[in-house]
Amino acid sequence: MEERTVVTSVPWGPEPAPAPVADRPSATARVLGGAAALVLTTGLYVGLAVVPPDAVQGEVQRIMYLHVPSIVTAYLAFAVVFCASLLYLWKRDLRYDAVAVSSAEIGVLFTGITLATGSIWGKPTWGVWWTWDARLTLTAILFTIYVGYLMLRAFAEEPQAGARYGAVLAIVGFLDIPLNHMAVQWWRTLHQPSSILRPGGPSVASVMLVPLAINFAGLVLLYTYLLLERIRLERVRRRTAELTLKRGRRG
Amino acid sequence: MGNWGFIGLAYGLAALALVGYLVLLKGRLRSARDELEALERDGGRRKA
Repeated sequence: MEERTVVTSVPWGPEPAPAPVADRPSATARVLGGAAALVLTTGLYVGLAVVPPDAVQGEVQRIMYLHVPSIVTAYLAFAVVFCASLLYLWKRDLRYDAVAVSSAEIGVLFTGITLATGSIWGKPTWGVWWTWDARLTLTAILFTIYVGYLMLRAFAEEPQAGARYGAVLAIVGFLDIPLNHMAVQWWRTLHQPSSILRPGGPSVASVMLVPLAINFAGLVLLYTYLLLERIRLERVRRRTAELTLKRGRRG
Repeated sequence: MGNWGFIGLAYGLAALALVGYLVLLKGRLRSARDELEALERDGGRRKA
């Protein structure tokens, strides 16, 4: 007699019945979005109109007020992916996986912005749009790792397998970040050494730290807002997949 | 291109990327919600 397998749970494991997904962003998300817009507008004004130009680089150094907070926000996003992936592998709870995949997408966005703004700054400063310097190359590798992660997730046929392989890739890929941060100290590179997160404190003038700090705060607020919205999308998609599966089972 | 041209390009591209992502995300959310609502409506009709 033919043996039949009975599907007793949704593909991503035995989860409690999901809570209804909200139609609109939560009040927290709306406050975060509004605060991000306000803080970033302030940072833009301070960075472009208030602080004086750099004594050596001139006006073009103002690109750093966007470039530096952008990569630090990307590091934060990938740190969230790293932690959520570890938690997923430990607990096998797909809510952690939803956080990981959502944060990875936003991290890729901020890494892309970092690469683009760095390249635009490099042309007038170094005379080239791109060079295979250790810091630049490792940032491009970081971008590629997490684009690969998103592709792996998008093309996985089994949601659980995709989540599991993705988590492993995200954890291994995160090793690129300390390597990237230390690259300017370990190798002689064209990219300047760290001027903020360095032993002995920041080496830049304190007036220049103000727009950097404001924009970093603004981008972190924006990241959190985008993360909450992206997680909401993930929940809607998973609820749809679950309902479709239930209907399929009922025939 | 002068210094301010490069600054404008960098900030403009970043703004385009961030606003573009936000608009796309809202669009994806809307269509995912529409799909879910259609499924739920269909399920409700079947039960009735």
